Amino acid sequence: MPFDTKRIRGPEESQSPLLFLSPAKVPESSSREGVRGNGDVRPVFARCGLISQAKGSAYLEAGNTKIICSVYGPKEIERKDETDMKTGRLVCDFRLAPFSCLKRGAWIQGSEERDLSAALLESLQPGVCLHKYPRSQIEVNVMVLENDGSILAHAVTCASMALADGGIEMYDVVLGCALRQNGESCLVDPSYTEECGNWQAGYGENQGCVTLALLPNLNQVSGLTAEGDMREDTLTDAVRTCMDGCNKLYPVYQQALIRAVKKKAPPPEK
Amino acid sequence: MAAEMRLPAVHKFISLPTTSQSQDDKQLVVPGEVITSDTGFMRGHGTYMDEDRLTASVAGEVERVNKLICVKPLKTRFNGEVGDVIVGRVTEVQQKRWKVESNSRLDSVLLLSSVNLPGGELRRRSAEDELAMRDYLQEGDLISAEVQSIFSDGALSLHTRSLKYGKLGQGVLVQVSPSLVKRQKTHFHNLLCGASIILGNNGYVWLYPTPDQQDEEAGGYFTSLEPVSLSDREVISRLRNCLLALSAHKVLLYDTSVLYCYESSLSHQIKDILKPEVMEEIVLETRQRLIEHEC
Amino acid sequence: MAAVHLSEAEKVYIIHGVRDDLRLDGRGCEDYRHMEIETDVVSNTDGSAKISLGHTDVLVGIKAEIGKPKPLVPNEGYLEFFVDCSANATPEFEGRGGEDLGVELSNTLYKVFNNRLSVDLRSLCISPGEHCWVLYVDVLLLQCDGNLFDAMSIAIKAALFNTRISKVQLSENEEGGKEIELSDDPYDCMRLDVENVPCIVTLCKIGHRHVVDATLQEKACSVASVLISVTHRGTVTCVRKMGKGSLDPESIFEMTEAGKRVGKSLHAPLMRLLQEEESLGQKRQKVGFLG
Repeated sequence: MPFDTKRIRGPEESQSPLLFLSPAKVPESSSREGVRGNGDVRPVFARCGLISQAKGSAYLEAGNTKIICSVYGPKEIERKDETDMKTGRLVCDFRLAPFSCLKRGAWIQGSEERDLSAALLESLQPGVCLHKYPRSQIEVNVMVLENDGSILAHAVTCASMALADGGIEMYDVVLGCALRQNGESCLVDPSYTEECGNWQAGYGENQGCVTLALLPNLNQVSGLTAEGDMREDTLTDAVRTCMDGCNKLYPVYQQALIRAVKKKAPPPEK
Repeated sequence: MAAEMRLPAVHKFISLPTTSQSQDDKQLVVPGEVITSDTGFMRGHGTYMDEDRLTASVAGEVERVNKLICVKPLKTRFNGEVGDVIVGRVTEVQQKRWKVESNSRLDSVLLLSSVNLPGGELRRRSAEDELAMRDYLQEGDLISAEVQSIFSDGALSLHTRSLKYGKLGQGVLVQVSPSLVKRQKTHFHNLLCGASIILGNNGYVWLYPTPDQQDEEAGGYFTSLEPVSLSDREVISRLRNCLLALSAHKVLLYDTSVLYCYESSLSHQIKDILKPEVMEEIVLETRQRLIEHEC
Repeated sequence: MAAVHLSEAEKVYIIHGVRDDLRLDGRGCEDYRHMEIETDVVSNTDGSAKISLGHTDVLVGIKAEIGKPKPLVPNEGYLEFFVDCSANATPEFEGRGGEDLGVELSNTLYKVFNNRLSVDLRSLCISPGEHCWVLYVDVLLLQCDGNLFDAMSIAIKAALFNTRISKVQLSENEEGGKEIELSDDPYDCMRLDVENVPCIVTLCKIGHRHVVDATLQEKACSVASVLISVTHRGTVTCVRKMGKGSLDPESIFEMTEAGKRVGKSLHAPLMRLLQEEESLGQKRQKVGFLG
């Protein structure tokens, strides 16, 4: 396309005007939006099997966070340069839709998404019986449609439901839970404003975010990331709180999975 | 808990007046350097003819045997010879053969027909043996073996047809330059300090606890996974660090030098041996004792 | 990462050794290898440091450039990290081979420094909303023999200590625009306060115990490790579980506790060393890369 050089070009980088508003403060301990308390998770909605082409799929909604995940495979491994052929390979691809965040993202995978992919892989891998799938690979694709906080935690849950829906052998489902530490109080399953909150703006003590992935039946932690600036005892408490959060959510996901299995079952013979 | 941090110091290369051959009569050359333009010599390894001049193609030491001139590189990969003892790691299981990484240019080969299988020497290799190859040796396993022959492309063919060779069990592998291992009658030593050592000609040194009795019923393919006692571990760890110290200061490795080094290290803690100044002190003491021993 | 193959028996030997608190090289479970640190090794940088930890060698160069502050935080400068895994370290890094590891390492660094306390970012601001200092932290792996994270973080702290940023002054010209003037005196510099810069401790779970500063062989025996970055006050700025295994909650608590203890104790000797090096000044013989 011929380019009009006489026109003044816009800046290479552009920003949404909303970004220049002063960031919202983290709500005080009692004034959490809606009716939930600090230790409560948002109500979740989870369904399996909405993408018909995929081996397994799941959709998850928690507040305004909306995540969709599909699982393909197991199929013959593509790159055969890996020497260890005794176990299968799990490949995770984590993407944020360009319109999912306040700031428009790019379609190509940025370094943040690559990092989230790696964290997702590390959290899921201990739960999957990869030794049952020698020489094959299982692909997990996660797409965040709307980012309203705690995306990694919900993505882990969503992906493990999709894996279960796809009939991949697993030791246990993997559940994720996030937490936002704000001084002495902590907010479980934070929304986007709570996540960024005054950590971006202020210099408070004991500020941080923790995301944990748990295998609830085996009581094993398969993933843990934390950032911010926290005391060690705060961190230990945060890990415990996250584990509680996972255990609270477990029945919901269990029911959703059982529902999906029932749907697939052939009608009882008369 | 200990983390010691320090500024790097300039390390001097310690040299002792060597006794038998002094460093001066060694002719050291670099690639492209003319060794001689006398046409009366024969061209050996590490040299090439540039018109009428005999020129070095590797950096190293000139060796003359009568009319033959070779240049022996001081740092090189392992060039095996028939009868060499090596320690190697299995990298691949193929049909009727194992590929063994042995620090030489190409991977060495251990044929199924050149190993002792359980159940005696005189046994035909059956199809079942071929299928069970991975039960004897699998990828990652360490073996000791002897060079049986050399293929035309330079790859080594190994054999383990003796009870002293075979799969290695628990222990520690130390990798040094092959030129630092002294050729000796035997490369298997039960050191007085309480551990055993295999000094592979290929620069792979294996340290392991001295076995109680030499019972090799399974033909050397059974490895004990019982915990090794703490005292044995201490000896092995100390020996490992001593070997690294000796190799860092380019001292030839053989049973006496290793043992002397072990003895001079006894005044230090095991983990301190790898500190540069302790390393220098120990190696210096070892060298002195070796010279005294020679006189 | 350079692949290390070990036989089952070798692994068993290492695991039992860790249980007995005696590792292959004679160290206990919480001992670091011999560490040598030198700063000001590359003349074209504003700050640089080289560390060798056993056979792991890391070189860090910091360059300060003037950029535009991020819109969300107009009165602060920022740090950019890039880790290059050079093919010198191992042939596997050749081409794009080291890219994944490099991205993982630099992403971890962003997380470690993603808080308000590590570096005083406000001191990097020149004029709010318009100009700030951007510190480009470039990490080069020269040799790797395990424990890259710890070595890297110590080298970054040393390099930040060594960083000198020229003082600039804002002046207004006749038309009311702002001009940046660089100080004429090259010794008129700004230093960074590195007291709160955290150090990373990686704990590898081997058998039922955990070790710090694992070598490649030891790493091959471990299925999961925990990375913790700790400041001198003992606060934790980043935690990350790595590896393909999972961990018992109790062992996570044990490991964070040990990581905090070890990490806290790294800072005092490092600062002492950096101050000693500075006090020696020009008198000290530089070793550089030939040490």
